[in-house]
Amino acid sequence: MVDAVIEGIRERIAAAIQVNQSVGIQVPENRHGDLQEAIFDSMCRNTHTTWTYVTVSKTFDYLSKTFKEGTKQSNIKFIDCISRAAGISEGSPNCIYVESPVMLEKMILEILNNFKGMKRDLDKFIVIDSLSALMIYNDPEIIREFMSVVMNRSRSENIHVVSILVEEEMDSSKLIQLNDKIIVLRDSFID
Amino acid sequence: MPVKKEVCSTGIEELDMKMSGGIPLGSTVLITGCSGSGKTTLCMQYLFNGARKGERGVFFTITEPLFKLTKNLEGFAFYDKKLIESGMVNIIDLRIISERLGLDTEKYTVEDAGALLDILKDIADELDVKRLVMDSITALCYRLQTREMIRDFIFKLGTSLAVMKCTTMLTSEVPPQTFKFSQYEIEEFISDGILFLGDMDRKGDLIRTLQVIKMRGTDHSRTKFALNISAQRGIELIPLLKSTEFESFLKR
Repeated sequence: MVDAVIEGIRERIAAAIQVNQSVGIQVPENRHGDLQEAIFDSMCRNTHTTWTYVTVSKTFDYLSKTFKEGTKQSNIKFIDCISRAAGISEGSPNCIYVESPVMLEKMILEILNNFKGMKRDLDKFIVIDSLSALMIYNDPEIIREFMSVVMNRSRSENIHVVSILVEEEMDSSKLIQLNDKIIVLRDSFID
Repeated sequence: MPVKKEVCSTGIEELDMKMSGGIPLGSTVLITGCSGSGKTTLCMQYLFNGARKGERGVFFTITEPLFKLTKNLEGFAFYDKKLIESGMVNIIDLRIISERLGLDTEKYTVEDAGALLDILKDIADELDVKRLVMDSITALCYRLQTREMIRDFIFKLGTSLAVMKCTTMLTSEVPPQTFKFSQYEIEEFISDGILFLGDMDRKGDLIRTLQVIKMRGTDHSRTKFALNISAQRGIELIPLLKSTEFESFLKR
């Protein structure tokens, strides 16, 4: 059942991102892990595409223990914005570490640098996990501005954006509206 | 048809873009900022990028010993030891030159300042440098006794280097979190350009910033940028998110 649900989420995201430049996914906290699994599954399957996974909610170390092979693939690059802020100094060559989740400009730079030099015709994706975690450290206004910059830069470089919003963590309604398509995952859909 | 001005590209793509291609050739530019703002790194990257294009450069240090300076540089991808060995990038300790000239006093007389100026011009001429950095002009000004001497020194240095089509960067030290361009408040008026490197407090973290305050003879941006220093890419710039400006203003 769980596999079928995750497959369902994966297919929904894949279909949405094919026709939209940006997709916002609102998810209840207790199903955040399932959504992450679906995204990792998607990234691992599509080896001909390239991904930048920006994590603010879980450390890269946690993700690599949970999703093992998914964090070792060459088509996926990670930007960890939370480990250093949490006082974790260990690092991995597969991941770029941003010192603090308030260094939003640095995040944008690292995202753009990740895609530099890649073939133009290659499908490129950014996953921001999550906007709600960014909101813990930043004011809503600056996150709106950050998202607006990310959206505009990614549009100009033909990069698709998937942003995650954990609904219990914030008043999500305004931020998620920046996306072209919004998917609201509910407990009832997942269970 | 407008005549296209000759420019000296810093090699830092985003910065050059903000200055319509680069610094007008032969200009004297003040690189202003507090400690740790990235002045020395920016200047070094400017010299190494120039050397790669065949433009010889010289870096005069007053504030840091040579061994420390080169050791700090080794971590950067733009650093190339061969460019130093081949003489394309020259790093000179000005204190040693001063000592050799018998100028190792606390304060320079007019004659001392003249002698130092002559030797700087001679070195630039002999090496045929197209890029010169003085790190820092503040430390040098400290030894010049009057405001007139400071004005005269910078003016003469800038003029003689401009004749050689040498583009000069003078680093200027200012206290943190201040919107001030120099210690003696003369340097900025004689300089052709000012790049202001600052810090912005965001939730207790410091974000480095850069702003082109003036650049005579060019149509330049005055937007504030976030500045990042990366070992791989050196100085990187991206527009600063504006929402922080208000927050920072309130704190002031």
